[in-house]
Amino acid sequence: MTFAERMLHIDRRIIFLVIAVCTLVPLLHPVGLAIKVSPEVRGVHNYIESLPEGSVFLLSMDFDPASKPELHPQAVALLRHAFRKNLRVIGMTLWVTGTGMADLVFSQVAQEMGKVNGRDYAFLGWSPGVGSLIITMGQDLYKAFPSDYYNQPTRELPVLKGIQTLRDVNYVVSLAAGTAGIESWYVFGKDKYKFELGGGCTGVIAPGLYPLLRSGQINGLIGGLRGAAEYEALIDRRGRAMAGMDAQSATHFAIIMLVILCNVFYLFTRTSRGPSGQRRG
Amino acid sequence: MPFEVVLGAWVATGLTLFIFTFLYQDNPLFKLAEHLYVGVSVGYTIVKVYDTVIVRLLYEPMVNQGDWSLLIPLGIGMLMLARYVPKIAWLSRIAFAFIVGVGSGLAIPRVISSYILKQVEDTVRPLVSLTSGGGPTFTYALLDPASNLNALVLLIGVVSVLFYFFFSVEHIGPVRVAAHTGILFLMIAFGAAFGYTVMARMSLLIGRFTDLIEFADPRYGRATLWLLVATVATLIVSRVRRPEQPTGGE
Repeated sequence: MTFAERMLHIDRRIIFLVIAVCTLVPLLHPVGLAIKVSPEVRGVHNYIESLPEGSVFLLSMDFDPASKPELHPQAVALLRHAFRKNLRVIGMTLWVTGTGMADLVFSQVAQEMGKVNGRDYAFLGWSPGVGSLIITMGQDLYKAFPSDYYNQPTRELPVLKGIQTLRDVNYVVSLAAGTAGIESWYVFGKDKYKFELGGGCTGVIAPGLYPLLRSGQINGLIGGLRGAAEYEALIDRRGRAMAGMDAQSATHFAIIMLVILCNVFYLFTRTSRGPSGQRRG
Repeated sequence: MPFEVVLGAWVATGLTLFIFTFLYQDNPLFKLAEHLYVGVSVGYTIVKVYDTVIVRLLYEPMVNQGDWSLLIPLGIGMLMLARYVPKIAWLSRIAFAFIVGVGSGLAIPRVISSYILKQVEDTVRPLVSLTSGGGPTFTYALLDPASNLNALVLLIGVVSVLFYFFFSVEHIGPVRVAAHTGILFLMIAFGAAFGYTVMARMSLLIGRFTDLIEFADPRYGRATLWLLVATVATLIVSRVRRPEQPTGGE
């Protein structure tokens, strides 16, 4: 067996180890590589920045703990920005398994920013239906959510004063890990009730959402941990996403090198075997 | 540090390490974490659905506010359970018919509007722009999604990919060229999707490692270090105690 063949049959656990080292070392000793902000992330940031104080911002955290590493930093950055702008924030989720985590994010960031539940923000929790839920919210918010996550009647919450339907919401951002998510909010919400919509998503579903961005169906898109880091840079508040960017770059570099090496070794084995597949003597 | 936070850190650290052990080989620790994940997810979902749907959206409005019209959706929903009784299983078709009918009615017009009409509208873009003086111009900026060059790339991409999926004529001559161009565009799209997937998976790894580093702190009782030692020791013990596996392909 030649060296190239041995390399192509290397124990995959060695590759796992290489990736683990490439992730761990930059996390322990960050070098602080520069972060360039993309126009799609700037789109969400600039729209929130343009909203006057007291505007209504709805954040739908449509993910579960499996996508927490990517979308949790996005949620934290968006909430910090919205609370800093003194917007009236409404939180909810379309994913039942993400309810507790979404509540935790809201309460932690609100406490950090000195905001009070019911007065400055409301967390509505989860309700079934997705499409029909969004349509009901477009007709009557209080019918869709008669009570919030803490079982307080939503009609009595001061933060929701003057808000009757989704038409009264100035900006909706869906942080999505799949369906239900950004597309549901567009199809059943924005297209019908004409509010402005932005999105945040995991890296896996980001390529599928770029057509919506280009056509103006959403006005911005925060993609994965990288997008979260860009948002943290925009609000000038370093968080977990920015801390993870060095590790992300290191692992990407390692994977690119592995792909190149694999191709080189494969070419070596092909040339040494010849056109018939037999090894040349 | 509150006790429940420290306990949560220990549970999260332990389960993360248990799941990571699968990278070495399948083992009982991985199985434990896997089954716990499934069980906790299902249990959490059942409790949340019961609390939200049965208690808050049905029971409380009916009993506290006298909204007895909710008996209609409750009745339709209950028909679903008729599937478990063979003699009256046909009743469940009423509920399914209602769901399919309402779902289709809600979704079809909205989906056509959002995914087809809007996307077609965005695909058909002018290939030449007009300057402020009224003359025609062609913008070459590849990084600008609104440039004429990108409109041309989009047009070629859409048409060639459609040709690739057009099977009514044999792919020879100009059709073959168009179909092969379509393959090129598809490969670029798959590459971009794979690149994003790699980024996403690495982000998940970074997220777990960030937590593991945080939980190695003395405030959490150095959960990561202790549990790492315990996990490795368990793997070694299970490896030593496991009977020899037969080798060879006979």
